[in-house]
Amino acid sequence: MMSTRALGLGHSLRKAAFGPSAVRNQLMLRNIVGKRSVQIQSMPASAQDQILNKQRIHRPSSPHFTIYQPQLTWLGSIANRVTGVGLSVLLYGFSIAYLVAPTTFSSANVVETIAGLPEGVKYAGKAILAAPFAFHSLNGLRHLGWDMVKFTSVKGAYMTGYVVLGATAISTVALTFLK
Amino acid sequence: MQSLLTATRSNQLSLGKRAFSSSVSRWQAVPQQKPVLMKEFKIYRWNPDQPEKKPELESFKIDLNQTGPMVLDALIKIKNEVDPTLTFRRSCREGICGSCAMNIDGQNTLACLCRIDREGSKDTKIYPLPHMYVVKDLVPDMTLFYKQYKSIQPWLQNDNPPSGTEHLQSPEDRKKLDGMYECILCACCSTSCPSYWWNQDEYLCPATLMQAYRWLADSRDTNGAERREKLQNEMSLYRCHTIFNCSRTCPKGLNPAQAIAQLKLELATE
Amino acid sequence: MSSSLVLRSALKRTFGRRIAAGPISQARYATNDAAQLQYVPGGPIIQGTVNDPTSFPPSSRTHGSHHWAFERLLSASLVPMTAAAFVTSGTAYPILDGVLGVSLVMHSHLGFDACIVDYLHTRKFPVTGQIVKWGLRTATVATLIGIYQFNTNDIGLTELIAKAWTA
Repeated sequence: MMSTRALGLGHSLRKAAFGPSAVRNQLMLRNIVGKRSVQIQSMPASAQDQILNKQRIHRPSSPHFTIYQPQLTWLGSIANRVTGVGLSVLLYGFSIAYLVAPTTFSSANVVETIAGLPEGVKYAGKAILAAPFAFHSLNGLRHLGWDMVKFTSVKGAYMTGYVVLGATAISTVALTFLK
Repeated sequence: MQSLLTATRSNQLSLGKRAFSSSVSRWQAVPQQKPVLMKEFKIYRWNPDQPEKKPELESFKIDLNQTGPMVLDALIKIKNEVDPTLTFRRSCREGICGSCAMNIDGQNTLACLCRIDREGSKDTKIYPLPHMYVVKDLVPDMTLFYKQYKSIQPWLQNDNPPSGTEHLQSPEDRKKLDGMYECILCACCSTSCPSYWWNQDEYLCPATLMQAYRWLADSRDTNGAERREKLQNEMSLYRCHTIFNCSRTCPKGLNPAQAIAQLKLELATE
Repeated sequence: MSSSLVLRSALKRTFGRRIAAGPISQARYATNDAAQLQYVPGGPIIQGTVNDPTSFPPSSRTHGSHHWAFERLLSASLVPMTAAAFVTSGTAYPILDGVLGVSLVMHSHLGFDACIVDYLHTRKFPVTGQIVKWGLRTATVATLIGIYQFNTNDIGLTELIAKAWTA
């Protein structure tokens, strides 16, 4: 359909170009060509959604966390979630393990196993547990403050954020060396 | 021609004319030749006419000393002089229309309010607003955002408006709307919110929630109960985890996070 | 029969979503237009015309403000409980130990649940979302039983942490 039409147009074009009146009729010719090369198709108004949706399905989603500037705001938030999930997994893991095998995971066994570890490993393990506990607890207080509409300016959020980070560092050291 | 001009100019100078002193000094002012300061802009490109081609960053180098101070000036210069197919929205160039919202060097802001970092050795990366479907280049599809804004019925609703007089409000009540009515709906805050990234279809974004609170806080509005009831579900409001990206990025210096915190507290103590 | 139908339609939806929301791939240019143009939560196709407002999920205070308030009160009550657990011993105050154990598990459950709603909601992941949701519920019940057993038959949570810490 398209090709025959194009062919027909090409033929008449060629004829016009080689004909004697070509120069005189150039303006007219251009008008004809302009009109013919644009195809107009009648469509119902309801077809617009279909056309739009056909464009939409090709649209890519723009990049997000990979290009967003690392900021205390959202890094602190994801750290809160990660530490919370980590500690909760430990709680769930131990409780379910005790439920399944009460003798293997009895307090005596657990404490004995830990006591048998080298000193360095003990301290490292304590630090690894203390840091998320301290951060999640202190950041939790910060969240409770926000929920009461305290420190809810950008300045307040940053100030409390740095306070939580500092306090986390101190409490981690204190808890690690707690006897 | 140039040399001829300079010759006449220096001629007149040496004669030390009286009446033309002002115009002579203006003649004298040879445009100062600024050093060339090339800066690289890496701009997200995607063309809907070639949808099979993956989006990519295209690099443009322009002379900052021949460009205006703002990122929008650089974009317009690139579009005018380098690549006319570069596509972005812009209108007012003074931070009141919200059209040129985009992600510049990792932060959502308005290109017209964002100064170009004049450190020439560092490139500036420009992306469309994060986690939005891209229509072309820097133009995201904002349809859903506007539909969500419409869903909170952002207009004054009052069963019993005073007849024949103004609808009065005390200065204190009016003050409650400050910091909220100024929002220009540029969607910088909404598209900076990780919760909105993951649950765009159901979570009303920071901008919409702040406007929801703006109408709740209005002393002249009497539809508060119904407005609050609509937000009583898992998704619309409570996907906010007080991350603060919204307030951090707002180019108008507003505080959506605070408005949402107030909204949550009001719903809980209702 | 009906369950397999549900599963199949669910699979189709996940697949459709993958096509619509994932990165550009050859799959997008599959011939099945009608399936592609279906609305998928989070996908590029939008429900209704551009002039229709979006709709709200059904109202429920249990999932709204009550849930939020309960979560905050629980978190706030963990503060004095944790502080008390630091200064006392679990064997001396078994009730504190029990309440702390239950509160911690509830707090954890709400936290896990928030993650599932954020990242694996059933409207987007009809199969995985359901599995994870019920998996969490099962795990929480098992944990509650486990912690009850440990607190009654063994030395209890606070005592264990104290002993392990100084071991």
